[in-house]
Formats: sequence, C-alpha cells, structure tokens
Amino acid sequence: MSTGYVAVQWSRHKRVYDASIAIGIALYLGAFVGVSKVLWQGAHGISDEVILIRALGSCAIVLLHVILCIGPLARLEPRFLPILYNRRHLGVITFLVALAHAMLAIGYYHGFGVLSPVRSLLTSNPNIDSFRAFPFELLGLGALAIMFLMAATSHDFWLRNLSASTWKRLHMLVYVAYGLLVGHVALGALQTDRGWIGPALMFVGLCTVSGLHIAAGLQEYRKDRGNPTTTPDAEEVTWVDVGAPNEIPIDRARTVCAPGGERIAVFSTGGTISAVTNICAHQGGPIGEGKVIDGCITCPWHGWQYRPQDGCSPPPFKEKIATYQVRIVSGRVQVSAKALPPGTPTTPVRIPGDMP
Amino acid sequence: MADSIALAILWTLATYGAAGFCFALAFVFRGIHCIDPAAEHAGLSFRIILLPGAAALWPILLRRWILAGAKP
Ligand code: HEM
Ligand code: FES
Repeated sequence: MSTGYVAVQWSRHKRVYDASIAIGIALYLGAFVGVSKVLWQGAHGISDEVILIRALGSCAIVLLHVILCIGPLARLEPRFLPILYNRRHLGVITFLVALAHAMLAIGYYHGFGVLSPVRSLLTSNPNIDSFRAFPFELLGLGALAIMFLMAATSHDFWLRNLSASTWKRLHMLVYVAYGLLVGHVALGALQTDRGWIGPALMFVGLCTVSGLHIAAGLQEYRKDRGNPTTTPDAEEVTWVDVGAPNEIPIDRARTVCAPGGERIAVFSTGGTISAVTNICAHQGGPIGEGKVIDGCITCPWHGWQYRPQDGCSPPPFKEKIATYQVRIVSGRVQVSAKALPPGTPTTPVRIPGDMP
Repeated sequence: MADSIALAILWTLATYGAAGFCFALAFVFRGIHCIDPAAEHAGLSFRIILLPGAAALWPILLRRWILAGAKP
C-alpha cells in the first residue's frame, strides 16, 4: 500500500513463491534438455542451441498458461488463491524466459549472416501473404513486445500514474499476445521439423484457457442471477439477503450482488458481520475472495488490507474502500444495497448467541 | 519484408528507444517527483526498475511532466 514506493514489496510469501518458480523453471529446462538429448540422437540429432531455444520457448508458454489460468481457477476454487497472489512476479519472470528464447533464436538463426540479426529477422521471410510459409517469428516478436510492455509497467507506480483504466487495457493485451503465440507455435511447427507434439499441447492449452474462462464467467453469472432476494424498507433502502449468519465462513466472506450489479463482500470475523465493496482500491481485485488476517480484510491479489468496520487501511496506509450497512432480521443477514462513501465507519453487527 | 522498410523500422525504433532512454534517466531522478509526490524518498532500485517502462512510454510521461511543471 502506498506510503512511498519500494522496488519490490518483499514478503515471506513472495520469496517462497519466487524461489518455487525459479526451481520449477530450472527443473523444467533440465528435464526438457535431457529428454530431447535422449529422443533425438544420431541421424535425428539436433543441436544444443535448438534444444535450448525450444526448452525456453515452451517454458515461457507453459508459464503463460499458468498466468492465464489462475485467475478463473481461483474464482472456481479458492484453494488456488495463493498462486494468484503474486501473479505479477510470474508475469515478469515469464517475459524474461521468453526474452532468452527470442534472443537465442535470433542469434542462432539470424546471427551468422552479414545483416544484423534483427534486420535479418525482419527481412529473411517475405511470405506475409502466405499462410503456410508466414513469418511465424514476427508473431513471436509481437507477443514479446506486448510482454515487455506489461512487465515494464507492472510496478504500482504505473498503475497509479497511467490511470487504472489505461493500465488495465494495457494488461488485457495479454490475450492478444496469447493469440499471436498460438500462431507462432502452430505456424512454426509447419515450418520447422518439430513434430506435432508442441502444437497438440498448445491446442490442449488453448482449450483449457478458454474453458476455464467460460466456466468462471458462467459461475459468476449464475451467482449474480440466483442471488438477490431484496426487500425495500420504509426508507426505500433496499436490503439484500446474504443468508444465515453461520453460512458465512469465519474470517471469510460471502459475496452478494446488489440490484445495481455492484458486488458486496460480507465478512464474518470475531463474532461480528460487516460489509465492504468487493472491489479492491489497488487493482480492483475481488476482496470477497480474500480472508481476514490480523483483524484486517486482506485482498487476495496483492495483500492490501482494510479494516472491516470502516474500510480503511490500517495506519500508516491511507487507502479506503466503500462500506455497507448490515443488519440481522429474523435470523437472516441483510446488507444495504447502497454504498457508503469510502472509509465510512459502520457498526459491525454481532451474531446473536456468539459471545465476544 | 523489403530491406528498406526493415531498415526504416529499425532506425525509427532505435531513435525512439535512444531518446526514451535519455528521457527515462532524467525522469526517474527528477520528473517523477513532479508527477507523483509519493516517489520523493524512493530508493535507487525503485528508480532503476522504472527505467524500461519510462523509456518505452516516454511521450506520455513527458506530457505529464510538462503539465505538472506548468502548475507547480
Ligand atoms: C522475437 C521473438 C521470437 C522469435 C524470433 C522466436 C523464434 C522461434 C523459433 C525460431 C522457433 C522454432 C525453434 C525450432 O524448433 O527450431 C520458436 C519456437 C517456439 N517459440 Fe518462439 N520466438 C519468439 C518469441 C516467442 C515468445 C514470446 C514465446 C512465448 C512466450 C515463444 C514461444 C515459442 C514456443 C512455445 C515454441 C515452440 C517450441 C517447441 O515446439 O518445442 N516464442 N520460436
Ligand atoms: S491488493 Fe492488488 S488488487 Fe487488491
């Protein structure tokens, strides 16, 4: 949260996370090179450089699949949340692996001629109008450019200074990059003698990514439609039914959707119930998928914290999110559909029969 | 792609990038304070981490810097 910037906000979780990724990448590259050496021997032998190019390229694409899948996965199954929380480091690491792949490929396939390697990359294959012989490397170059922009702007400074909407749009380009890479792998396979395993796996990956996105979207849609039992009261405040108090998991939230479509995260902690907006002030992360840590609601994406009673970050931080009035009527928790201005204190309601 | 087009693209990119890099150096040590006060006491590693992005997006930042400088 913002009291002044640091390069990386390290925490124990992030160190473990990054170390696991580094070990995972090393194991993958080692296994890929080892297996390739065994598979392609003698007359079918391929050079170490090409093996390494393929190892790095496929490693980057695997990481990209993880990045694209954890969003919807965490929505469908909260146990995946710890992977989501630090996705940014994963993104930067993926870019670096892809960069190593690209530099090695350019150096190896284009580095030994009279033209400078990048000039050769742009000019060596003029078949832009052909499908089979299309310069697939240019698709990789486009994806790499997008990945660079995303990695370079991943620090919170950019989120704040490019405005959240520009930043979000920029980072949605990851889907464009993914599309370009599907082409890079598929067309590349047509032109190099790599066999069908890579493209087949890419197809499986494509189905997984789209399937998960559709499933998560459907679940969200059903939740929104199934949810609101609303009761307007005498003062025209609409109250949305949340369920019985004990249906909200302790130190976690149940998310409901107000008639206007805003999502409200209703938390149960310390025997009381309080409600805040589901949208994190940081990057719009789903607060309702987070949990209460040290008495503060903690966003699952990057760990920003808010006090349940007033939606304020604990000092010295200054972030605020909207809060909502809560009440319990005949054994049902209800939340007001009207958002209070960010940081407005509310009185958390005590769950009847739950001693403090 | 024709070689002349490729050369034109490369030269444009190289010029843009070189200008961007010079701008980025000035920006992360000076201009940044005009557009984001929270960066006032930030350390060196934070500034270095912003260099690539500042070199790539320098026209946007330059505009922000000029606008911020106009109304101090
Ligand atoms: C300038 C950018 C790039 C260039 C010049 C480039 C070049 C290449 C080349 C020449 C191959 C074929 C290697 C061979 O089998 O002989 C290849 C394959 C591949 N590339 Fe790239 N690439 C670039 C960017 C990327 C990026 C950004 C990614 C992913 C994030 C990527 C992922 C892959 C994958 C998954 C393969 C297939 C590997 C396999 O089938 O084992 N490439 N690339
Ligand atoms: S902490 Fe980043 S979105 Fe909530």
